[in-house]
Amino acid sequence: MANHVTNVSQTEEVTSTRRVIAASSVGTLIEWYDFYIFGSLAKIISEQFFPKDNPTAALLATLATFAAGFVVRPFGALFFGRLGDLIGRKYTFLVTLIIMGGSTFAIGLVPGYKTIGFVAPAIVFILRLLQGLALGGEYGGAATYVAEHSPADKRGFWTSFIQTTATFGLFVSLGVILIVRQTLGVETFTDWGWRVPFLLSIFLVAISVYIRMKMSESPLFAKLKKEGKTSANPLAESFQKKDNLKMVLLALLGATAGQGVVWYTGQFYALSFLQNACNVEFVQSNYIISVALIIGTPFFVLFGALSDKIGRKYIMMTGMLVAVLAYRPIYTMMYNEADLKQKTEIAEQTKVDVKHELKGTDSLTTTVTTKAFSDGTTYKETVKATVPLDPAKKAELEAAGKLKPETKKETTLPQNVFYKMIGLVLIQVIFVTMVYGPIAAFLVEIFPTRIRYTSMSLPYHIGNGVFGGLVPLISTRLVEATRPGPDLPPSDPLAGLWYPILIAGVSFVIGTLYISNKTNNMDVE
Amino acid sequence: MSAIKKIAGLIWALMGAGIIPLAIMQAMKEIAAKPSEENWIFWSIVIVVLTPIIAFSLITFGVFALKGEYDVIE
Repeated sequence: MANHVTNVSQTEEVTSTRRVIAASSVGTLIEWYDFYIFGSLAKIISEQFFPKDNPTAALLATLATFAAGFVVRPFGALFFGRLGDLIGRKYTFLVTLIIMGGSTFAIGLVPGYKTIGFVAPAIVFILRLLQGLALGGEYGGAATYVAEHSPADKRGFWTSFIQTTATFGLFVSLGVILIVRQTLGVETFTDWGWRVPFLLSIFLVAISVYIRMKMSESPLFAKLKKEGKTSANPLAESFQKKDNLKMVLLALLGATAGQGVVWYTGQFYALSFLQNACNVEFVQSNYIISVALIIGTPFFVLFGALSDKIGRKYIMMTGMLVAVLAYRPIYTMMYNEADLKQKTEIAEQTKVDVKHELKGTDSLTTTVTTKAFSDGTTYKETVKATVPLDPAKKAELEAAGKLKPETKKETTLPQNVFYKMIGLVLIQVIFVTMVYGPIAAFLVEIFPTRIRYTSMSLPYHIGNGVFGGLVPLISTRLVEATRPGPDLPPSDPLAGLWYPILIAGVSFVIGTLYISNKTNNMDVE
Repeated sequence: MSAIKKIAGLIWALMGAGIIPLAIMQAMKEIAAKPSEENWIFWSIVIVVLTPIIAFSLITFGVFALKGEYDVIE
């Protein structure tokens, strides 16, 4: 009888833990989805909301907005972290979900720059900041909530499900974009179809809010509250007390900064590199990343569970070290696999189509060159030259250097190279799972319950938001710096990797030297 | 091990202090060479956001390490 009661109680406990994980993970996944569709559609958004005169400035402006989203994340961490330690985890991450969903939906409704001028990018900028604030409050809450429900010897395993949400959110965002783009066609998608993934968010958020409303408060926090032991000032307690501040700094410099750059390099930079340095066609490059992400995602759980056995530190540090050592060789291989100079062109299959048309007061010449290579690679280059019919205007634009044609390069890789690319990206995703899988458990275990939400959120979001979030901006800049002239290709397309290599390298040294591996299986109070 | 942690602490603190003039000088050099909007945006983010975070965290962390605060971490 006693055994039966124990079994029933254990079954109930497992069911309840699963429910907690599912409810927390679904909401966090939706928040990541909301956040990443903006990044995944950066190019289209720059065309819609920023002046088109200078495409680089437009792209940089978008990246800056992107970074702004990341930069405000630490403020969201402080604001919502404090709330979570004062009033509870449940209500705080319910609020963050609503703010995120509302902002994402609103971005889908903002008229373009052509319609309302500079008000458009200003509104998008504000909504992006709100997204960043909400995300800053979400992750710490979800990780803390799940960890506070988990048994000590399975904390790495249970929290790793929260860790899958960031990658899975990116995967879902890429999937939704691809499906909408394929369904509506490229032109319609560029015109208005890109709004659909943003508008869809409202339904996902509504479902998640409903699920979260039914959840109860974290047992550890509820106990503290009942005993009147919650912190009166979580911010001061987290960052003004030396014993806690030193752990915040250790978590940032020895773990989350390195983890952040590895995360963004393995997923975002890999996609950007495929599209911009290798010129891999849009749909194919997204497929490469999506397939690698879906194969790699279970490794979060594997490394999370493994960290319960051998410790968080060893897995995270190994992930950082191998990433630092392997990035240059991996990206060299990716570049070489798509480098047309290393392939044999089948000259007789080269086609050049030239089309002239009138567009208002301009003449538009579109030249499409298609090439085939012996290994099955195909290449398409579209050059659009718009020239005003008015000679005076033409001379004026020519003098200002604004008559440059728009060039789009698309390389479609053969199947064997496509699979190789998936493999190369997958290796990077595995690095991501090593550094990211155990990190929620690691962060939860180094801070006490009364200030956990605040204390763990800040280093997480500075590491990921600032160090990681700036990977696209800084890496693009490092590559641009190797360009010998304005119209010449960069001399070192891999130069962008120096930023993540340096940050992850420093983080590895600090983490190895100062972090203890004894943090696994400890009780959290 | 404690001695290594303390010596490394000095290195972190010096790195944190050194990054401030380095970033400012590089920003001034690049903006003077090409005062474009993208240069301003990029260096504003580096100087206003990234540099203070790196400098503050490395200096404080380094000083803590130097004082032996990380000698015993459980």
